[in-house]
Amino acid sequence: MPKRLIAILALLVFLIGCSAGPREHKEKAINLPDPSQADLEGRLVLGLGGGVSVLNPILSTDTTSSAVEGTIFSGMTKVNEKLEIVPDLAKSWEVSPDGKTWTFALRRDVTWHDGHPFTAEDVVFTFNSILNPKINSVRRSDYIIDGEPIKFKALDKYTVQAVLPKPFAPFLVRSGMSIIPKHILSDKDINRAQFNRKPIGTGPFKFSKWVSGDHIKVVRNDDYYLGKPMLAEIIFKVIPDENARLVALEAGEIDEAGIPPKDYKRMKALDGINVFEFDALTYAYLGFNLANPKFADKRVRQALAYAINKDQLVKIIFKGLASPAYAPSAPVSWAYSDEVAKYPYDPDKARGLLKEAGVDKLEFTMLVNQGNKEREKAAIILQQQLKKVGVKAKIRVMEWSALLKIVNDPTPPKDFEAVVLGWSLGLDPDSFSIWHSSQYPRGFNFIDYDNPEVDRLLVLGRTTMDKNERKKIYAKIYKLVAFDQPYIFLWYPKAVVGVSERVGGLSKPGPAGLFLNIHKVFVTP
Amino acid sequence: MRKFVFRRLLQLIPLLIGVSLITFFVMHLAPGDPTALIADPSIDPVDLARIRANWGLDQPLIVQYFYWLGNVLRGDLGTSYLSGQPVLFEILERLPATLLLMIPSFIITLLITIPLGVLSAVRKNSFFDNIVTVLSFIGMATPSFWLGMMLMLLFAVDLGWLPAVGMTDPLLSGGWFVHMMDVIRHMILPLTTMTILSLAGITRYQRAAMLEVLDQDFIRVARAKGLPERVVVFKHALRNALIPIVTIMGLSLPALFGGAFIIETIFAWPGMGRLGVIAIFQRNYPLIMGIMLFSAILIMLGNLLADIGYALVDPRIRYGKK
Amino acid sequence: MAKNKLAIFGLSVLAFFVLVAIFAPVIAPYNPDEIVAQETLPPSFEHPFGTDDLGRDIFSRAVFGARISLTVGMVAVSISILIGTLLGAIAGYFGGLTDGFIMRFVDVMLCFPSIFLILAIQAMLTPNIYNVMIVIGVTSWMGVARLVRGEYLKIRELPYVEAAKAIGCSSPRVIFRHILPNAQAPIIVAATLGMAGAILTESALSFLGMGVQPPTPSWGNMLMDAQAYLRDAPWMAVIPGLLILLTVLSLYFVGDGLREALNPRTAK
Repeated sequence: MPKRLIAILALLVFLIGCSAGPREHKEKAINLPDPSQADLEGRLVLGLGGGVSVLNPILSTDTTSSAVEGTIFSGMTKVNEKLEIVPDLAKSWEVSPDGKTWTFALRRDVTWHDGHPFTAEDVVFTFNSILNPKINSVRRSDYIIDGEPIKFKALDKYTVQAVLPKPFAPFLVRSGMSIIPKHILSDKDINRAQFNRKPIGTGPFKFSKWVSGDHIKVVRNDDYYLGKPMLAEIIFKVIPDENARLVALEAGEIDEAGIPPKDYKRMKALDGINVFEFDALTYAYLGFNLANPKFADKRVRQALAYAINKDQLVKIIFKGLASPAYAPSAPVSWAYSDEVAKYPYDPDKARGLLKEAGVDKLEFTMLVNQGNKEREKAAIILQQQLKKVGVKAKIRVMEWSALLKIVNDPTPPKDFEAVVLGWSLGLDPDSFSIWHSSQYPRGFNFIDYDNPEVDRLLVLGRTTMDKNERKKIYAKIYKLVAFDQPYIFLWYPKAVVGVSERVGGLSKPGPAGLFLNIHKVFVTP
Repeated sequence: MRKFVFRRLLQLIPLLIGVSLITFFVMHLAPGDPTALIADPSIDPVDLARIRANWGLDQPLIVQYFYWLGNVLRGDLGTSYLSGQPVLFEILERLPATLLLMIPSFIITLLITIPLGVLSAVRKNSFFDNIVTVLSFIGMATPSFWLGMMLMLLFAVDLGWLPAVGMTDPLLSGGWFVHMMDVIRHMILPLTTMTILSLAGITRYQRAAMLEVLDQDFIRVARAKGLPERVVVFKHALRNALIPIVTIMGLSLPALFGGAFIIETIFAWPGMGRLGVIAIFQRNYPLIMGIMLFSAILIMLGNLLADIGYALVDPRIRYGKK
Repeated sequence: MAKNKLAIFGLSVLAFFVLVAIFAPVIAPYNPDEIVAQETLPPSFEHPFGTDDLGRDIFSRAVFGARISLTVGMVAVSISILIGTLLGAIAGYFGGLTDGFIMRFVDVMLCFPSIFLILAIQAMLTPNIYNVMIVIGVTSWMGVARLVRGEYLKIRELPYVEAAKAIGCSSPRVIFRHILPNAQAPIIVAATLGMAGAILTESALSFLGMGVQPPTPSWGNMLMDAQAYLRDAPWMAVIPGLLILLTVLSLYFVGDGLREALNPRTAK
C-alpha cells in the first residue's frame, strides 16, 4: 500500500515535471524607443522590494526609501554614469590648497516644490541637522573627522563653505547629501515631523500620494531647474517578493524589475522587455576571526582559499552572472586593481599547505545571515568544497540582528569563527573602517585584521587628494590584503535588470543605475 | 445584563496588563535591537549607539516598560522607530486592508459551514457525511502558505487569470466601480486561501454540535409528536446547535488573525499582519507592542461579543443575580 | 465504520513515515546535503522527486526531512502536554486562588494570535531546531491545560479520590498516581491532534525562515526554498507540501478515531 502511494506520488511529480520541461531561449537585442515617441502624459511604474519607512533623506536608512527620495530631493553634487561627482544644486566648487576649505557656489534658479526659493541657508540647515545628536540620522559620523565635526557656513545667499579639521578626500562624495527645506523644518522635531510622510524637495518630481504598504506616487515638477521632466508621474509599487516582481514585469504591471539568475535566459528572449546587466559595487566574502588561533596562521587561510572553487560557486548560484572575486574592491570602482594573489582552485595544494602548517584536522563554524539566499547557498557549497580537503565546516544560519550582535560585540573575544558576508562599497575607495587596526573591536574590522603597512596606506589614501596617487595607494592595499587572505573573496555580483521596452531615456547601464537622469526618462504610449 | 458586560470589561484589564508584560519582555530579551538593522558599512556604530539612546533603549528595561505603560494609559501607543510616525496611525492605516479580508472570509465561512455541518450531521455516516468529513480533515491538514502558493501557481502564474500579489493596480484609471472590481480581483486568492482554511474546522464543530443536539430528549419528543423531519431539524435542532458555534467563532478569531499574518505575507497584502511580521524582523518594538495589544483587544472583544451573544441566544444561561 | 478505516489508513501512513524516518540513511539514495546533479532537474528515475536549486536530490532530502518534521512534532507536543497537564492538574486539583491565577494566565496566552507570539519568541532565540521545538511547545499548551483542569475538577470529587486523601496520600501522589491515569484518554487525543498542529506550525515557521535552518532539510524549509522556483521547478513545492498534508491528515484521522474509541458515550 505505501509503496503504491509512493509510486502514485512519483508519477504525479513526474507529470508536473514534464509540463515544465526545458525550453529553448533565443537572445534578442536591446530595443530602446526614440524620445520623439515620448508620451508626455506617461506614467512609469517601478517595483519596490520593501515598504518605505520614511521620506526624509537625512533619516532614511534603507535603499527602498532612498529610491523614492532620489526623485523628490537633490543635493549639491551628484554622480554621473562614469561614477564621477558632478554639479547639481551647486554650479561649481573649489578646494583650498591645504584640502581643508571647500567652497560651493549654488544655483540661483532653484525653488522648493512649495515655491519657496532655495538658498545656502537650506544647505547649512541640512548638514547641521545631520550633525545634531538629537536627530536620528545615521549619517552624522560621515561629517565628523577624527572626532571633530565639519563646519558649514553660508557665506552669502548662494555660497556655502565647509571647513574640514583635516584634509579628507571622501568628503566630495559626501557633499552629495540631499538637501531638506529649512523654512519647513527649522521649528519642527525632524524625527517625527509630518514632513517625513509628505516631503517637499527640489528634485524633478513632487510628492503626491502614499498608500502605506501598497504604493507611492510622485508627479512632475514643472519648474525643475534642469528642465521639465518627460514623465507625468512615477508610481512606486511595493512588491516584496523578487519573483512576484518579475511576474508583474512580464504582465506589464510594472516597468522595471531585477532579474534573478535563474530567469536570465528566459527574460533575455522575451519580447517587450530589455535586459541590462552591469557590475555592482559590492563583493561577497568568507571572513575569518583572526583572533581565533585556528586562523592565526596565514598558511591555513591560504590553504582554504586554494580549496575553494569560486567558479563552481558562481556557476551554481548565479548561472555565471557574477565573477569570482580576488580583491576587496569591485571591477567598476576606479581604484580597482586585480594585481593580487589569486589562489586558483587547487585542492592538492590546499592539503599540502594545511599539512605544512601542522593542521591535520580543521573544524569550524561559518555564520551566515538568514534570508540572504545567495549567501545561504554559498555556505552550503563552501561546506561541500571544504569537505574535499578534509576540512569540516558547519553552518549556522542566524537572524541578521543576532549575527550583527556577535560580530559587533565591543568586548573581545568575539564569539564566531568565520562568517559569510558582503560589503557594498561607497563611491570612494576609502576602506579605513574595514581594514584599519584601530577599527577593532569597535568598528567594521571585526575580524581583527592588523597589518601596520596597510594601516599606514589607509591613512595616506584618505588624506591624499590626487586621484592617480590614490589609485596607486589602493592597489598596494589590495595586494597586501589579498596576500594575507583575512577574507576569502568570493564573488562580484552583476546587477541584472529588466526594463519594459516602452521606457526610454535610460542612462548608460552601470552601478549608479539606469534612472540616473530621471527627468529625461520617458515612456511611449 | 449590563452588569455582566461591565464585569467582563473590568476583567479585561488584568488580561491586557498580562499581554503587555509578556509582549514587552519577550521582545526586549531578543538579541539585537532595531539599530542593528540599519547596518551598512558606511554607517558608523557610534551613530547607532547615539540613536539607541535617543530611542530610550539605554534605559533599564523596567523603566522602559513603565514609561511605555504610562503613555498607553494616556492613549499614546508610542512612535514607530524607523518611520517616526505614531504607532496608532500606522496600525489604523493598515487595519482596513486586514478587515477587508477577515470579514468577508468570516461571512463566507459561516454561509458554507452551517448548512454543510447540519446536513453532515443529519445524514450521519452517509456517503455525503464521509466526503465532508474527509474534505474538512484535508482542509485542516493543509499548510496555509502552501495552499496560497499552489493557488498562486495555478491562477496567477500558469493561467494568468488573477493578479498574484498586492491589493490595487495603481495605474488603473476610472471610477469607483473600476477600482472596486480591481480590489476584488486582488482579493480573490488571499480570501480563498483564508476561507478554505477556516471552513474545515468550523464545519467539524457545527457537525458535532448538531449531532449532540439531535441526540437530546426534546428532539426525540418533537419527533415522537410526529413533526416533519424538516421542522425538527431546522426549527428545533439548528437553533440550539448554533449556540456553541457562537463561542467557536469567538475562539477562532486568534486563528483568523494568525492566518492573516501568513497570508498577508505571501500575497503582499498591505494589512496589519504583514506590518507585524516586518516589525518583528525589524525589532520595531513600539510597533510590535502596538499590534500585539491591538490584536489582543480585538480578540478579547470578539470573545466578549461571543459571550453576550451566547447569553442572548441561550435562555438557560443567566448572568449575575436577577 | 468509515471512521475506523480512516484511522487505520492514518495509522499505516504514520507507521510508514516513522519507518522512513528511522531508516532514512538506508532509504535515501544520496547524502541529502550533497550536490549530486544539475540544479532543478525534473523528476526522473535517478531522482524520483527531482533535484533542488542547488542540485541536491529532493527524494533524499524529503526522507531526511521526515526525521526532522516528525521529531519536531513529537518533542514539541511532549513539551506542551507536559506543561499543560501539570498546570491543568494543579489548577483543577487545588482550585480556588491557584486555579484562578493559572486560568487567567491561560486566558492571557490565548489572547495572542499564536503565530505572532511564536515569531516574536523565535526572534528572541536563535532559530534552530531545538528552539523551534521549545517555542512551539511553550505556546501551545493552553488547550491541554483547560482540558486537564476540567477532568480534574470532575475526578477529584469521586469517592476513591476522597479515600486516597483520607488515608493521608500526599497531594502530588494523588494528582499523579491516582487521578492522572483516569484522565489519560482526553490527553492522548489532545496529544495526537497537538502533534498535527505542531508539524503545521513548524512548517509555517520554517517557511518564514524562522524555523529549522539550512542545510538541515525539513519539509517546511524545503517549501521556503521552493517559493522562488514555483514556475521553474514546481516539484520542489508540490512534494514537501503533500508530505506535510499527508502526515497531518493521518494524525487527524488517528486522533479522531481515538476520540471515538476512548469516549464512553460514543463507543458502541
